[in-house]
Amino acid sequence: MEKTKFDESRLNNWLSLGFKLGIAVSSALVVIGLIILLSISEAKDIQPLVRLEQIPAAIVISVGILILLLTPIIQVIVAIVFFSITKSRLFLGISVAVLCFAAISLALALI
Amino acid sequence: MLLWRTTLLNELNFGLNLWALGGTGLVAGFLGSALGIGGGFLIVPILTLALHLPMHVAIGSSLVAIVANSCTAAGVYTKARLTNVKLGLFLETATIPGAIIGGLAAAVIASSILSALFGLILLYVAYTMVVRQYLMSEDVLSADNSVAPDNTPNNLSSSLANSYYDQNLGKVVTYKVTHTPAGLGASFFAGVLSSLLGIGGGIIKVPVMNLVMGLPMKAAIATSAFMIAITTTVGALIYHYYGNIYPFIVAPLVIGVVIGARVGVELTQRARGILLRRIFGGILFLVALLMFLRTANVI
Repeated sequence: MEKTKFDESRLNNWLSLGFKLGIAVSSALVVIGLIILLSISEAKDIQPLVRLEQIPAAIVISVGILILLLTPIIQVIVAIVFFSITKSRLFLGISVAVLCFAAISLALALI
Repeated sequence: MLLWRTTLLNELNFGLNLWALGGTGLVAGFLGSALGIGGGFLIVPILTLALHLPMHVAIGSSLVAIVANSCTAAGVYTKARLTNVKLGLFLETATIPGAIIGGLAAAVIASSILSALFGLILLYVAYTMVVRQYLMSEDVLSADNSVAPDNTPNNLSSSLANSYYDQNLGKVVTYKVTHTPAGLGASFFAGVLSSLLGIGGGIIKVPVMNLVMGLPMKAAIATSAFMIAITTTVGALIYHYYGNIYPFIVAPLVIGVVIGARVGVELTQRARGILLRRIFGGILFLVALLMFLRTANVI
């Protein structure tokens, strides 16, 4: 019982670190992209559609958004690794099912 | 499709104020994380009614902002052991299929119908926040746990049981998880709503986990935030495929949300949210009314 609680505590630590890292990196990239955008666009009003000179800013922000969107998916993978190590077959199966469903939705998005 | 695209490009041919977008994210992040409902309820109406963005673009932007909100909250809640990770993953097996169906349906449903649907959901949430008793006190949470016979298998129930240290109560709170089939059904419905309307789905998940499944309110909010992060990612990717996520709209929203969510999470851990919830419920009533007026082309 104590070992299980210790293991779950470790999973929580891993997930917390993963979420915080994902947010930190993606936020940093989005801020950098906004700084680039503001340095080439003098007005505080921006157009939603990307103009040619704004492409570098859009790319940096898009990478940041991508990392943000991948952060929860990576946490599911972390859970799979954890449940594999702790040999918790029920929750390993559940985690794999969640990842599979996410992959299916990603496939639908990319088709 | 091409005609729709051209129309959308014309609709987006105007300037947006960065501070207005950032401010929207800040308030939504704060309220969303403090109330455990994601924040999409505030972002979508503001983007459509105040900033005049098309409904599909507003929903796509909202989903990305909600991912930022829930990831920020989940980072804090998992560290504090409030999140029931196993339960969150278990319920996600129903939520993600719901999100896929909702995302696909949103691509073929007209904006006016989405607006009306959104208004109806807002009314429900407002009613829940202002009138319903269960949000008023942490102590009430398990008083009404016998609404239906529990058919959760014992081994699953014991696997999902959890505990955490409550700072306000100054003691370890231990709880069991019951009525998992009802939880799965509600999670599927929450997934559909999430992708269809650009919301986190916490308005369904938190009450069901709290009232039906026996989780304390704080654990329900934390587990909901963890689930919302996964669910909205799926919806956001689908909206991205349909070209409804624009980096220059989303960027200031995300920054505002991350800052607001961090403050909101701290507040949730320390304070009782009765007054805040009622104020937010009142705001939602007003926004719902505006959404209906917009659907009827009155404004």
